[in-house]
Amino acid sequence: MPGIARYVARKVASRILVFFIIVSVTFIIPRLMPGGAFAYLIENPNISPELREALIKEFGLDKPLWVQYVAFLKEFFLRGNIGISFYYLKPVSEVIMQALPWTVALVTTSVVLSALFGITLGALAAYKRGSKLEAGMFNTFMFIRSMPSFWLGLVLLIVFGYYLRVAPLYGAYTYGATYRSTLDFIADVMWHLWLPMTTLVLLGTSVYFILSRNSVVDVLTEDFVMVAKAKGLSDKEVLFRHALRPASLPVLTYLALDLGYSIGGALLVEVVFSLPGVGKLMYEAVYMTDYPLLLGIVIYVSALTLTLITIAEILYAFIDPRVKLL
Amino acid sequence: MNRGDVTRFLRRLGEASKAIFIMNNRGLVGLILLSIPIAMALFPQAIAPYNPWETTGAPFEPPSWRHLLGTNDMGQDIFSELVYGARISLLVGFTAAAATVILGTVIGLIAGYVGGFVDEVLLTVTDTMMLIPVLPFMILLAAMLGQGYQNIILVITIFSWPSVARLVRAQTLSLKQNVYVEAARAVGASGSWIMFKHILPQLLPLLVAFIVLRAGGAMIAEASLSFLGLGDPTQKSWGTMIYWAQRSGAISSGAWWWITAPGLMITLSVLGFAQVGYAMEEYVNPRLRAR
Repeated sequence: MPGIARYVARKVASRILVFFIIVSVTFIIPRLMPGGAFAYLIENPNISPELREALIKEFGLDKPLWVQYVAFLKEFFLRGNIGISFYYLKPVSEVIMQALPWTVALVTTSVVLSALFGITLGALAAYKRGSKLEAGMFNTFMFIRSMPSFWLGLVLLIVFGYYLRVAPLYGAYTYGATYRSTLDFIADVMWHLWLPMTTLVLLGTSVYFILSRNSVVDVLTEDFVMVAKAKGLSDKEVLFRHALRPASLPVLTYLALDLGYSIGGALLVEVVFSLPGVGKLMYEAVYMTDYPLLLGIVIYVSALTLTLITIAEILYAFIDPRVKLL
Repeated sequence: MNRGDVTRFLRRLGEASKAIFIMNNRGLVGLILLSIPIAMALFPQAIAPYNPWETTGAPFEPPSWRHLLGTNDMGQDIFSELVYGARISLLVGFTAAAATVILGTVIGLIAGYVGGFVDEVLLTVTDTMMLIPVLPFMILLAAMLGQGYQNIILVITIFSWPSVARLVRAQTLSLKQNVYVEAARAVGASGSWIMFKHILPQLLPLLVAFIVLRAGGAMIAEASLSFLGLGDPTQKSWGTMIYWAQRSGAISSGAWWWITAPGLMITLSVLGFAQVGYAMEEYVNPRLRAR
């Protein structure tokens, strides 16, 4: 098997194992809570006695733990069933699948844009080391990096949405609107999403900028860069043809490890802008104490994170030729 | 400890503080940034002009000389809320960071020193934890444990220790190679004696830097959970202030002062902790200074 295929196969296999562990943990956590198995569920005053009986039956709470576990795994892996949402009274998977596309679109677009901006600006800063430009960029991005994601969203919302009126205050599209064409719909969505997207890209860029700058600074001191300079290549050629590729590898590694945090930030920003994604669903689930939905969200968001991490690592394999030798 | 030990310790502490906070620009900037929230947390009564739980103005008053940062929907003074909120925000962040570093250190030490099967199990757990999306897990656990700051600290600790454990494990692996460890083993010292009496003291300065570096992240985690209503809504922390601001229509009333103030305090504290943490790390590990 060629190196890359083996590398990918190994990564995918280990991710599937991690996912299996995560699914098992979501089985265990509610059963470890103080008060015993599903105390919060059985003693929830908002639940009618009939629903209570139905829930006990559905989760098999009257059976031994290992029977419950086997049944849980069977339901999940064979039928994709995680449970019924208390609030929506619909299968959890169905509720989440409606919200998931928004979150996927938001996260992937913002991560790709942030990585592009971050790596380029970071390289520029490393190249202009010691200049006022570098210091300015560094301080700005250090400051943005220290902000809570949801707070940056709120500040931008009040400035651009409330005072300047160049962005809507909530939602991903105009409620109740009828569109003449798909293009109209897309335009409306873009009008609603530009501000949350800006929030996420600012936050992401600040993280990747600092990494990329440090990484390019390191690479610029390597022998092969000196050789390239000695050959008479211009500084720009050295930077873009020789330094950027090795320098982007640590950034990509970090990006993969950091995806969990990026997704967390995106979920909170969805809450701020009332976007119909998984984040807003999570907020409602907390508010309504809808535990089956919350558990389902953890499983789906984990699956999304693991998928994106694996994609980032496969991309890494294509940029780093050394992987082929493994 | 006799008097000589104490004076020697104080002298070394003085040298370290000078190198971190005076000779290092980042450390100095961090100290200045942190001095504001720390002063607020220590002496709220002396700084705050009003009782933050009392109605002292009209609702949604913009900033004025009477109310420096305006008022909230209940007519409470936001500057006073900010001052009183500093204690919980800093305390939760710092405690969670310290607990994270302690748990991570114990796990990393055991994995690195014992090795073999134990190491493999702990490493698998650590790597798995590093791949999960932390925030949804924190929210799930916090929602099930119920509101309250002890639970928030617990939840942050449970999901933040893996990166510390990895670093400590790597350090332990290299420290284990030292001759004095072999010598201690030769005279019959037990594993836990070597781990905690010989290896841990070597790591201590680095661990202090870790706690400071982690405090900012823990503050953001606390603010995020409080923002979702998982903190204690009856108490005042900066995260809870943003939670109430968002829920009580600060955006649709244009109350920018109510939104901006607590978040800016969080940002400045996080930035301060990061700068001081970097300066400490540079002092402990001078190789980092080259950048």
